[in-house]
Amino acid sequence: MTKDSPQKALLVVFTVALLCSVLVSVASISLKPIQLRNQLVERSRNIVSLSGLVPVGKDLSDDEILAAVEQLDVRVVDIDSGEFTTTIDPSDFDARVAINDPALSVAIAPADDLARIGRRARFAVVYLVWQGDELKRIIVPIHGQAMWSTLYGYLALEADRATIAAVSFYEQTETAGLGDQIQRPDWQALWQGRKLFDSQGVVRFRVAAGAVVAGSAAARHQVDGLTGATITGDAVTRLIEYWFGANGYAVFLDTLQKQPPVKMINKESAQT
Amino acid sequence: MSNLFDIFIRAVLIENLALAFFLGMCTFLAVSKQIKVTLGLGAAVIVVEGISVPLNNLIYNYLLRDGALAWAGYGHLDFSFLGLISYIAVIAAMVQILEMILNRFLPSLYNALGIFLPLLTVNCAILGASLFMVQRDYNFAESAVYGVSVGIGWAVAIVALAGLREKMRYSDVPKGLQGLGITFVTAGLMSLAFMGISGIEL
Amino acid sequence: MTVRETLLDPLISKNPVTLQVLGICSALAITNSLKTALIMSLSLTSVLAFSNVCISMIRNHLPNSVRIIVQMTIIATGVIVVDELLKAFAPDTAKTLSVFVGLIVTNCIVLGRAEAFAVQNNVARSFLDGIGNGLGYSLVLIIVASIRELFGAGTLLGVEILPLLQNGGWYAPIQLMLLPPSAFFIIGFMIWIIRSWKTEQVEQPDFERVEIEEAGENA
Repeated sequence: MTKDSPQKALLVVFTVALLCSVLVSVASISLKPIQLRNQLVERSRNIVSLSGLVPVGKDLSDDEILAAVEQLDVRVVDIDSGEFTTTIDPSDFDARVAINDPALSVAIAPADDLARIGRRARFAVVYLVWQGDELKRIIVPIHGQAMWSTLYGYLALEADRATIAAVSFYEQTETAGLGDQIQRPDWQALWQGRKLFDSQGVVRFRVAAGAVVAGSAAARHQVDGLTGATITGDAVTRLIEYWFGANGYAVFLDTLQKQPPVKMINKESAQT
Repeated sequence: MSNLFDIFIRAVLIENLALAFFLGMCTFLAVSKQIKVTLGLGAAVIVVEGISVPLNNLIYNYLLRDGALAWAGYGHLDFSFLGLISYIAVIAAMVQILEMILNRFLPSLYNALGIFLPLLTVNCAILGASLFMVQRDYNFAESAVYGVSVGIGWAVAIVALAGLREKMRYSDVPKGLQGLGITFVTAGLMSLAFMGISGIEL
Repeated sequence: MTVRETLLDPLISKNPVTLQVLGICSALAITNSLKTALIMSLSLTSVLAFSNVCISMIRNHLPNSVRIIVQMTIIATGVIVVDELLKAFAPDTAKTLSVFVGLIVTNCIVLGRAEAFAVQNNVARSFLDGIGNGLGYSLVLIIVASIRELFGAGTLLGVEILPLLQNGGWYAPIQLMLLPPSAFFIIGFMIWIIRSWKTEQVEQPDFERVEIEEAGENA
């Protein structure tokens, strides 16, 4: 076989392809368990930081996060009816994928679409944080269109379903140094204790234009605005208005009040 | 519909592959000396992108991704790690076919493009578009629009840069900046200008 | 070429980015943080060394008809392995790097060195060439990333160096540094500095300059 004969070419190509496939497959399969664990930790990191189960701001190890996740009561909520549903497995459900499935999502009328997301999934994975048998916090996912990107985050409510315990935005690509300040821990800390609703149950939460006027009637519903990031700040206001309005979790929160939830430990710990 | 238009506008103006993500730079900087050649290269890129991105989308969704092979009864397999090599193979094949077509029907363009036509295979912009398409999980229609838009955006950028370089050909550029250096600075200014367009809300 | 030349030439006198105009794409896009630049540099250098070694090993058995596609297969394999390793051991950075690790496949440096060096030199030399060019690339990336992160965010590797106004300090960050155009400008000026020092790299204009006599008031 000379170097340029077709047989040589075929042999070389076949050998290289075989060796490369083996290398790639070995690498991929042996590393997969580590990668899956990383993904789980990543998904859980935000929720755990909002749960109040761990000290805020502390850098948590992967094991600490996974241990805290075990303590969360994960539920799936039918947003329209406000009820918990057991037909959907929370570990299988991805709201971002569901949005494209007509069976699992609904279109939002343009007049109602404050968060500018077009469609919303019919279900959401929410987390209940218990202390003993007492409900401490409710964590719900929120998202909405901002200036450059879609913001994805979680909001943690106190057990009274009206006071904000914490917020986190885990995905955004807003303007560097301006809009991306929504991820600053010191700004997010301002959200704690703010009241979402007024006495009539209307969403009053706002990201203020500028600093909040202390002592004013509206102050308990507002957080300071972000300098140079008015559009992003407005987008946050709008998405909160949407998600806690009649088309969002308002029905769910109402249902929670009328039928207080019962603690459900997850299946794994039930067997220990 | 508005989603598709949105993708088009974003790909051409706001997330221009050449000016915002710096993909396809090597060719960009090496070829952009004459407008005529860059027009031809831009057209070639639009064609290759417009075909390879939707094709790669089909391959990803029906062969590679987790559970994609369910139609053949192998729903538990996940071959997404073979994505990279598959997309490159598709792109290489597309470029080869385009070369043969151009050689037969548009030989003057074929000769003008010279070495840069086969170099399209390793043009980051072409592979990059497919990778972004996978990352953003577009469906087939969105991939088709995205592929063409991305090609148009890249072509617009490279032709504009060629125009600027032609204008600057006889300018008195400092010795150290001549050629490559001033091209970088020009590209940077263009990138800045395009960022201004993105404030438009449609 | 001596071992020293192979390793050190690509740093300045034959730098793949500033002279050979290769591998620019990633040099611009991911350099707004020093940490991602370092990991990218490491990834590229590994793939470059791996592919140079493999291609050099089979260089005498590689038929011309399949040369390029075989090279690309080997390079793609290297990139996939590196990508999987990153996703397992550095998941945060892997997310930031997103498509750019995959784009190492089309990084002109890798294919460029394979064609220009690995097919004609032995394994040991090819390995060194891979490392050398990888270092040259890394040098550019590290310089650009350091400037961008330091002046754009006041930090280096996440450690605060210039106290930001919003943290009670005095430094008002130059936001342009965190945006794409700044990378273009920084590399442009780096090229200017290098070519002022190593004047043999200056590009000569492709036309002839002709001196014209002054023609009095009618000039």
